[in-house]
Amino acid sequence: MSDEVVVRTVGLGKSFGSTVALQDVGLTIGRGEVFGYLGPNGAGKTTTLRLLMGMLRPTAGRATVVGLDAWRDAVAVHRRVGYLPGEPAFYGRLTGRQHVSYFGHLRRDADDKRAVLLADRLDLDLDRPARELSKGNRQKLAVVLAMMSGPELLILDEPTSGLDPIVQQEFHALLREQTAVGGSVLLSSHVLSEVQRVADRIGVVRAGRLIAVERMDDLRAKSLHHIGARFDDLVSDAEFVDIPGVRDLAITGRSMTCSAPQSALDGLLKQIARHSVVDLDCAEAELEETFLAYYGTGEHNAA
Amino acid sequence: MLHSVATKSLFDQRRALLAWTVSLVLLVAMYVAIWPSIRDQPAMADFIESMPAALRSMLAMSGADMSTPIGYVKIEMLSLMAPLLVLLYAVTTGAAAVAGEEDRHTLDLLLANPVSRGRVMLEKLVAMAAGIALLAAVTAAALLVESPLADMSLPIGPIIAAMVHLALLAMVFGTLAAAVGAATGNLTAARAVPAVTAVIAYIVNGLGPQVSWLEPVQKFSPFYQYAGHDPLINGLSVQAVLIAVGTVAVLAAIGVAGFRRRDVAA
Repeated sequence: MSDEVVVRTVGLGKSFGSTVALQDVGLTIGRGEVFGYLGPNGAGKTTTLRLLMGMLRPTAGRATVVGLDAWRDAVAVHRRVGYLPGEPAFYGRLTGRQHVSYFGHLRRDADDKRAVLLADRLDLDLDRPARELSKGNRQKLAVVLAMMSGPELLILDEPTSGLDPIVQQEFHALLREQTAVGGSVLLSSHVLSEVQRVADRIGVVRAGRLIAVERMDDLRAKSLHHIGARFDDLVSDAEFVDIPGVRDLAITGRSMTCSAPQSALDGLLKQIARHSVVDLDCAEAELEETFLAYYGTGEHNAA
Repeated sequence: MLHSVATKSLFDQRRALLAWTVSLVLLVAMYVAIWPSIRDQPAMADFIESMPAALRSMLAMSGADMSTPIGYVKIEMLSLMAPLLVLLYAVTTGAAAVAGEEDRHTLDLLLANPVSRGRVMLEKLVAMAAGIALLAAVTAAALLVESPLADMSLPIGPIIAAMVHLALLAMVFGTLAAAVGAATGNLTAARAVPAVTAVIAYIVNGLGPQVSWLEPVQKFSPFYQYAGHDPLINGLSVQAVLIAVGTVAVLAAIGVAGFRRRDVAA
């Protein structure tokens, strides 16, 4: 069983002086899994990822990556993990190919075939100095460097920022190939829509705490529907408020609007059917909206 | 060249090292060219004699005779100019080793590779040592090759000995810069601490013989290990070499220990 776990954190916490950046994070990522790590900027996503990479020393708890301690065995961890930093910076005068060569040698794998292939698929010119690359191309180079060694785990901090939609598609294809051969991916983002197509599970971090971990399939099942109904007669709040799962209920005279997950639809429709219905409207909301409804947008703790 | 942290560091410096080499060759040529006119100026010796003892001592001129090639090289080059230039290279290179990469945010990407922090630090020190050795070797070669052109005869052994001590002096302060940078990640501190330390060490060594309460401290100054035994006359001092090498080793160990314990900035 432990063989199937690629990342495990127990009570992981990090404080910088008196500032608590991360608190009591317990997280498990399995082999072959894509884990989307979501949260607003400054919530602790980057701190978590850098703790896993051994760049930061935990002030509480511990993190195990590919079975090794993330801080003490950082070198051995790095041999098996590919990392894309949040704001990748490069050696300005070196070309992409020179970066590939340098890091390839540090990884004792001087063969750049895979890197060239990756660059080709992402449409990146490896012969230009890094300082001449645009934001998007720098991001592509970071992707190439993270993936070129064929690591069993990819730790990617906001990997799709700056990538245009076509390149994002190619990037998602690369992630699927990663998991197809048993590799795992941990990627962070501040928007669900960026990870919803690739993630198997998502974790939500807010103000330094992991407040929810959810399977994407479950989140889809919770997917909200917007329902609007107009009736022949007057309706009252009392008839609808007690239906479990119904939210954002608004009733004005003869019409009613609300949001409800799939599971609440049956009860809701039966209540609506007690009246004579003039018009009915039901549309599935974007997953993003569902997500925000459950986990909120602002500072206050939802969930 | 991009096969290791050490060779990559030297690769990055290739243009800078070429510029240093050319500058040092030209600088030595300039000093050699001036030599004949200084030699024939007895007033120069009188001028030095008339300076306050403390100032003479500060500029390492006591006991040196400007009318001999060795005295001239010692006063004009080795007392201030050569250490100043080589320290400038060593401190900037040492500070750039870890703190410089961190300042440019490339350290995250570098350390994500399977190389330990200790190894990164040590390879950067090796690269710095190679750079310093090159500068010292270029200076020695320039002195020995160019001096005959002005009828200046310099002894090969002592010149090389002086350059070995010069290189070790630079290693001490360069390693201090690297250690401060590695332990703190602060580029400004990595430059300022060794710069200030060097000035203090220079003054302590220079004034030691004149100021009684400084005298016991003088022997702790790396500048004392560098020139206290007058390498241009007495050659290599094994003791001074060992002290300098020991200092470098201790500073490197402290830097590595600090680097391994701390958080790396993104």
